[in-house]
Amino acid sequence: MRTIAKTLGRAALLSLLCTGAAHAQFGNPGGMLPDTAEARPGLPAPGQANVQDRLFIKLLGMGNAGEMEAGRLADARASNQAVKAFARKMVEDHGAAARKLSAAARPLDVVVPLEPDPDQKAARARLEALEGQAFDVAYLDAQLVDHQKAVTLLEWVISNGQDAGIQAFAKETLFQVQGHLLHVQALRADVMPNGPEGATVGQKR
Amino acid sequence: MPLAALACSFVMSAQADPLPADATYRSLPTMPFSDVKRMDEAAKPMVLQRQRDLLNARYDLSNRPIPGVMMSGGRRAVQGGVRVKLPSGMTWEKLAGMTPEEVRERGLLPEGFKPLPHVKQVTGGQVFPENQIDVIARMEQRDLRRFDVDFDLPDHFTPEFPAPIFLTTRPELGDVSRGQVLTIRNFYEIMNGLLTPVQMEGLRLLLTPFPQEEFNQTEDRKVAQQSLGVSCLDCHTNFHSNAAFHLTPDLRPQSVRFRLDTTSLRGMFNQQIHGSKRSLRSVEDFSEFEQRTAYFNGDHVSATRKGPNLPDRTNQVAMMAQMQNIINFPPAPKLDWRGRLIATKATAQELAGEKVFFGKGQCAQCHVAQTSFLDNNMHDLQLERFYRPGETRNDLVLQPDGPIKTFTLRGIKDSPPYLHDGRLPTLADTVEFFNLVLGLKLSAQEKDALVAYLLVL
Repeated sequence: MRTIAKTLGRAALLSLLCTGAAHAQFGNPGGMLPDTAEARPGLPAPGQANVQDRLFIKLLGMGNAGEMEAGRLADARASNQAVKAFARKMVEDHGAAARKLSAAARPLDVVVPLEPDPDQKAARARLEALEGQAFDVAYLDAQLVDHQKAVTLLEWVISNGQDAGIQAFAKETLFQVQGHLLHVQALRADVMPNGPEGATVGQKR
Repeated sequence: MPLAALACSFVMSAQADPLPADATYRSLPTMPFSDVKRMDEAAKPMVLQRQRDLLNARYDLSNRPIPGVMMSGGRRAVQGGVRVKLPSGMTWEKLAGMTPEEVRERGLLPEGFKPLPHVKQVTGGQVFPENQIDVIARMEQRDLRRFDVDFDLPDHFTPEFPAPIFLTTRPELGDVSRGQVLTIRNFYEIMNGLLTPVQMEGLRLLLTPFPQEEFNQTEDRKVAQQSLGVSCLDCHTNFHSNAAFHLTPDLRPQSVRFRLDTTSLRGMFNQQIHGSKRSLRSVEDFSEFEQRTAYFNGDHVSATRKGPNLPDRTNQVAMMAQMQNIINFPPAPKLDWRGRLIATKATAQELAGEKVFFGKGQCAQCHVAQTSFLDNNMHDLQLERFYRPGETRNDLVLQPDGPIKTFTLRGIKDSPPYLHDGRLPTLADTVEFFNLVLGLKLSAQEKDALVAYLLVL
């Protein structure tokens, strides 16, 4: 680990940490399903999704779909260029995340939802009724909450999930989604009239 | 039109599904205990190896004491030198010369400055060092060993064991510990005659085990046999610290809960806020509430199942506080009544260090000499200026720490490791940390002088 840290750059080290784990995170066996097969004593064999892995796939699948739909709408509808650019990034990033999630879910035989959840659909319907700055503000407000929830959901599955592929996906995605959250906070400060100052924790990414 | 839409969205958004319940609440076990124990024991060597690898990547953990400097009981040497490892090709001077943005952009913040993970983050819970496990096994036949994790730091980076006990009420006696660890078996013999009845009862309660998340009588435990639990002084041995750690009770989900090094209970009499983030306003509050926090992770629901200890405020809690409030800092013969160095007793280097402490070092802004080198405030150092949060290390997600309570510096050489999570092995590491984080640009001589000064507090 020491020599690796010395010779690799930060990005390379990050990707190693995210994808190099040959096993699930060291979980608390108390929470595992009683018929969990072990690859070696003490460690769950790959290809086993626990309850939290399954719920995560469902929630994130819906979340990605919602982000992409909202992003496409905002790209068309937003009045502020920076918001449009953010929206396009959401479509791109969440599209990529959806593909990675599908890849992680495939060996687990879990179906990834491709539709947003009902409350995201309702939020989108409300956005469709708005235009101009009101649209921008409402879109960013919704994006703030969505990304706060996404960060927490990813942190949750890192604690409570089991499958190594989902763990690797979650750790990589959390870093990216946290960047989105900072971006939204910064945009809100810029876009909202008399908007929040210093809304970002720390600095912009 | 927009107003109506906003009002509409306020009503509608209240109907979204909440995040999963076990993001906040603890699930009940689904695997039989014997399988849990078997799996935990089998995984334990791998868990410990992963943590060892992380520690070795971050720090030089070799045993290199400062010649001639011992902790206050004279039982252990104080480790010297900067132990946090630098990225390849970097020096402390180069690092200090960069802006926070540059350090963050280039990913150059030393790993040892970032939050330190628990040995097994997903499970968390209290982890005791070997010396404490041995003493309690011998004296009380109570088992403090976990089958899933062991303590991770080398002995030489932990406080001397056992620590001396200095009473504010009997300063003429010096260390009253008799070189023993106070337990429920020996406290009465050692302390009768020195304490009031109220203090004695407080001490008894502080030494009585109560059920805890990992040490209890249910199947949701990490100790081999059903356990009577843990006592307050199992971590705060002799009212100091034995470096036992667990996770902050104040955050969820589990993966963002930072590690907490046990604090010393010396000097509680002058401290007005307690807990690294909770800001409890009296040691009575802390003693009463610690059952809900260190014991049960801020989860009164889990506590109710496993056996909550609800000490009586007027009698038990007040007496526990009375006992904690008479624990003094160790003697600091070079400090006067104001907490300033006595010029005729201090060395030139120590005086130079004090000058840095009160001047260029900015230390005295928060570590106020007049009030036991603390300010009864919480402060946010904003370390996230120097690194990008959101990465994971051994299942701990590195998030900004937010405001944390100022810790006393009196007797500080007695309580490695440093910072709330113990991420800094030596005082020299803390000087480098603050030099970077506060942008002080101290010279090598100033840093050495500061360490020399800290050693005499």
